[in-house]
Amino acid sequence: MSQSYDRGLIEDFGRWREFTAGMWAWVFHKFTGWVLIGYLFTHISVLSTSMQGAETYNQTLSGLEGLALVRLLEVGLLAVAVFHILNGIRLLFVDLGVGLESQDKSFYASLVLTGVIVVASVPTFVSGAF
Amino acid sequence: MAQRYSSFSSGSTAWLLQRITAAFLVVVLAFHFFNLHFVHHAYEIEFAGSQARMQNIGYFVTMILFLLTATFHGVNGVYNALVNQGIDGAQKRIAQVVLGAAALLLVVQGIRVANTLAGF
Amino acid sequence: MSTQTPDTDSETEQPSSTSHQERRMAEKQARKEQREADEAAAANEIQGETVELKVFRYDPEIEGKEEPRFDSFTVPFEKGMTVLDALIYARDEYDSSLTFRHSCRQAVCGSDAFFVNGSQRLGCQTQIADLDGPVRVEPLPHQEVVKDLVVEMDHFYDQMESVDPFFDTDETPDGEEQRQSRENREEIKLSTRCIWCGACMSSCNIAAGDNQYLGPAAINKAYRFYMDEREGENKRQERLEIIEAEHGVWRCQTQFSCTNVCPKDIPLTEHIQELKREAVKQNLKFW
Repeated sequence: MSQSYDRGLIEDFGRWREFTAGMWAWVFHKFTGWVLIGYLFTHISVLSTSMQGAETYNQTLSGLEGLALVRLLEVGLLAVAVFHILNGIRLLFVDLGVGLESQDKSFYASLVLTGVIVVASVPTFVSGAF
Repeated sequence: MAQRYSSFSSGSTAWLLQRITAAFLVVVLAFHFFNLHFVHHAYEIEFAGSQARMQNIGYFVTMILFLLTATFHGVNGVYNALVNQGIDGAQKRIAQVVLGAAALLLVVQGIRVANTLAGF
Repeated sequence: MSTQTPDTDSETEQPSSTSHQERRMAEKQARKEQREADEAAAANEIQGETVELKVFRYDPEIEGKEEPRFDSFTVPFEKGMTVLDALIYARDEYDSSLTFRHSCRQAVCGSDAFFVNGSQRLGCQTQIADLDGPVRVEPLPHQEVVKDLVVEMDHFYDQMESVDPFFDTDETPDGEEQRQSRENREEIKLSTRCIWCGACMSSCNIAAGDNQYLGPAAINKAYRFYMDEREGENKRQERLEIIEAEHGVWRCQTQFSCTNVCPKDIPLTEHIQELKREAVKQNLKFW
């Protein structure tokens, strides 16, 4: 058997311009998922400072919240969480077999809605940091 | 409890639980974000306030459930993402052990923190 | 050209008329040669509209083709021309070593699935007129390339075989026909259309990453038999066990790429989802 040529996954992501809605949804859902689970571990670690006493807890939290970078990261976290929730709802509908004909439209809707919610929340999130 | 977060013999149970926890998390995560960024502001959070919230037994139980469902949903999600990537054999076993251990650690530490914040 | 030399009076007329004649003849000859050269050149050129075909070439056994490359072919465009027509023209007129599978040329054999301008299509089912030029034809992604546009299909066939793609009624009925109601036929009608072309499997990212994933075509095949009311209960349960294994239906992430590329318009994702729900229901019943 002559050797055959395996083009591998690298070639895949080079084709991102040709991705369909369903593919983008899958890629983003995975990416936001990883970010959120990473955040969960970080969050519990930060909250663990409470076990060192109220002072430590307060200082850690206000220290972090004082950093502009942290505020921006929180906006990022919001975007990630909102997208994962909205696309997740879309996936729940798909799993129930409802609205399969407009599955690509509902993906675009989740993107737009995520954008809207994030933009609307930016003032509250960054107030007092700048 | 530990076995729940590691391997699953029937794929359908994990699949269903992932969806059920998803439905629960949609509501509770949205509520959590809203509560801690809009009702109270993140930069105003301090021990006394956290304690006041956690001493409400309903809120406390919700937070514990939140922790459990989020851990399951997240760790199961990561595990599935890895299986989709194509891990197999030894790699899969390692992933199961590491993820199972991480999940257990997270839950235990989370409950300890919850108890501390509530003052129990 | 002197007309003043009396000696060459008669000569002057002749050379001048001869040279004039010669000149005219020479010009006529030159024009004739130019015309013939033009015609010869025109015969080599293609008249009318053409389309540029860029085809993936690879052959591990030929020097110069060990590294994949793209060859360009200029093919005359005719109304109603398909990608397959263009490839056959290229092979017949330009390079007889261009290799690709094809058979029925009417979208029923499933041999000529290619990656055309970035999506999985059947060559015989894709109109050149519908595509933006230049038309890029590549072998199906996520599968090993044997030569040019020919890919390894063994893995695909293995996955199809693994769901037992045959009818099994447990017991043969004595004497009577096995009847299927019209409603049941309607339910499974779309799933019977699969031509085993492999486009769906090639479009699925999970099938690309997880080698053990059954794939949309195999699961659809299982669906076609599982949902058929004439099938025996034992076989149904066996089939369910195959598809609810770890690398069965649960690997599907509802990416919908399979549904998008299926040349027979089978709602593959929907069928996979129905089987997931079925598996959940069966397991819940057990509790």
